[in-house]
Amino acid sequence: MKPVLKNGIAVYSPQGFLDANSSNAFMLIEDIEEATNLKAEMILVSLKKVAFFNRNGLDIFIKLFAKIRKKNQAMVGFCDYDKKKYEAIVRFFQDDLNFSLFKTLDIAYLFTSGFKNANKKILIYSSDKSQRSAMAIELHDGGHNPTVAQSIEDFDKKKRNIDAYDYIIDSTFLGQMGQKVATRVTGNAIIYTITSYLDAEIGEQFNIEYHRNSLNVGFRLFIFDAYKVLSMNIHALNFFSRLASSAAEYNASICFVGMKFDKTPEAFKETMEDAGILFYNQMDDILQNKELLKELGASSSSNIKNKRVINKETILELPKFIDATVATLEMMTNAKATKEALNIRTLAIADKKDKIASSIGYYGDIDGMVILVFPKEIAKKACELLIGESTDDLEMILDTLAELVNIVGGKIKTLLSDENISVNITLPRTYQDIDSLMEVVEGRKGVQVDLLFNDDKFLFFLTR
Amino acid sequence: MITKKNIESFIEKIPPSPKILNETLSLLNIGELVKAAKIAEQDLALKSYLKSIVNKPIYGFKNEVSDIGQIFGILGVSLAQQSVYNYMVTLLSPNKWALFKLNSTLFYELQANLSKRWEAILIHLNINDSNAYAAITLLPASIIVTEALFAQKKEEVALLRATKALDYNTILMRLCGMGLFDICEEIAKKWEMDNSVSAIVQAASGVKPSEDEEINTLGKWMHLLLFYKLSQPEFIKAGLNDFVDFQIEYVSDIYDDFASFMEIK
Repeated sequence: MKPVLKNGIAVYSPQGFLDANSSNAFMLIEDIEEATNLKAEMILVSLKKVAFFNRNGLDIFIKLFAKIRKKNQAMVGFCDYDKKKYEAIVRFFQDDLNFSLFKTLDIAYLFTSGFKNANKKILIYSSDKSQRSAMAIELHDGGHNPTVAQSIEDFDKKKRNIDAYDYIIDSTFLGQMGQKVATRVTGNAIIYTITSYLDAEIGEQFNIEYHRNSLNVGFRLFIFDAYKVLSMNIHALNFFSRLASSAAEYNASICFVGMKFDKTPEAFKETMEDAGILFYNQMDDILQNKELLKELGASSSSNIKNKRVINKETILELPKFIDATVATLEMMTNAKATKEALNIRTLAIADKKDKIASSIGYYGDIDGMVILVFPKEIAKKACELLIGESTDDLEMILDTLAELVNIVGGKIKTLLSDENISVNITLPRTYQDIDSLMEVVEGRKGVQVDLLFNDDKFLFFLTR
Repeated sequence: MITKKNIESFIEKIPPSPKILNETLSLLNIGELVKAAKIAEQDLALKSYLKSIVNKPIYGFKNEVSDIGQIFGILGVSLAQQSVYNYMVTLLSPNKWALFKLNSTLFYELQANLSKRWEAILIHLNINDSNAYAAITLLPASIIVTEALFAQKKEEVALLRATKALDYNTILMRLCGMGLFDICEEIAKKWEMDNSVSAIVQAASGVKPSEDEEINTLGKWMHLLLFYKLSQPEFIKAGLNDFVDFQIEYVSDIYDDFASFMEIK
């Protein structure tokens, strides 16, 4: 069984009846291997479409959870169940409940660092007092406004006031929290979330390969969300100092937000500042300050010293990149594509009006970035298959466009692997207008291909 | 990816039911088992299929049954009819399965299991209608349709499904405005099956409930039976478990009855 990976959560969705026989067939050896290598903040099994399960049916997933935690420290558990299923799981594993239970997938998202819509009003109830507190702390740390019901009567009373809350959480259990350094992209900045005590293990938890390649594909601002860091030791300090030195080679900025030094020596802060790390109290101090963002490199390509040129290896594989894009777009729109023009040049978009864009980087045996520029109407059409209806909601279109470019990235990866070229793909990015795209790619040479879908023009740009 | 043209071309290629099968079915309809068997004998492929089905463990015969007359006698009118329809569905199946890890033996196994369980369900529900019996035979046609339409798009579909949990029926509906079960309905029309057969199968899709209460109830039982069978290891490994979406809410009111009938503990 394959998972669906979205916004840092990988979800497996078995259907029907789960018992000892069937669950072993759901997770074959290769599926388990794949699951332990997933780059996800959370790995969940949805019980939404499971009509029946017994303890033996869940055991294979419990073993899987243990393997995942051992290998990559992601948060694991079940989601999408009703009260009856929740009570059954708690009864089956009452002495050994070290995984998480989220009543819905939406509730699970609230506990991820990538959840974009913070500041939600959330009502929480659990009969276990420590669980109530743990959930409230996590949600508060995530920027939400949790309200804890102290008893079931209190909960019943409060939840009647349905308009007062964006989310109501019950039948939920927080097991061991993940320890991975979660990653998300906001605009042109990459945000890493670090928590608790930072020591030599940060080197294991941090995906240095991903970071290096984000530098390679043009990211220049890296923010460490350090609100939940309790303290750090000398090993962690050395790690961040080294990271800052390597970032300096690319003229990139590394910032720490929300880091407190009451349990960490003040001298560490000075050492980090000397290495070039900047400190801010609030995330919005950076993200809402356009001038500062520009200064830090998140919206300007002029800072890039090491402009990389499109090379022979990339040109040789160009047909694969175009095929992957065309095949995906054809699949999404059921329209045939024709190639109009191909040029090696800096990105040129004649008419910027009503256009949006998305990009995805790849790294490994070769590296670079694919940028797709769509007229809004084509983007809407291309997203209809994934959304299920036509919509004018720009945020939804951009989110779906990110999924679409992720499919293109996946296709590129497959096509290249047929040639024994191994690459990984980065998180996708979207741009709600062409100006924000140009801030990132201005001055970079690449291959520009104009494509025609029915009568609509669509632009493909491959650069490094 | 898949266009309306692909669907039209698939429907066009569905062969009409062969003359021998038509005659066999007509005779079975009026309860003439012996005459029907004599006609059926002329189709060697049908004979071989019926032999392979009736000798499966689910039928529980100690000695091999090979005579068509004997087979029809054992099965009775409704099950004999079901078996002939099941055979007709297999005529649409590919020589080599590419999308699903199936082969003819496993597919026949699924047909036989569904048919036998369906018979038991209809007895449990006190329904004695030959069209209700026949309806179960059309259900696996949805698997064949999926295979036929998506086998060439295996990789694209895998990438799409890694991004969004979409079943084949939804993908088809969104791309072409026509689902797998609509195509099954076209098959039923071509084979001149009774309208109630396709109505039951449409309801069994879980996404098109019927306004007719009895058809809807049958649809719910069939939907649940399908997922009960598709939760068996061999069919999960074949990739069938999530080829269509299980609509758990749709069957919620009959689930307890189903679980008790199937002795699910």
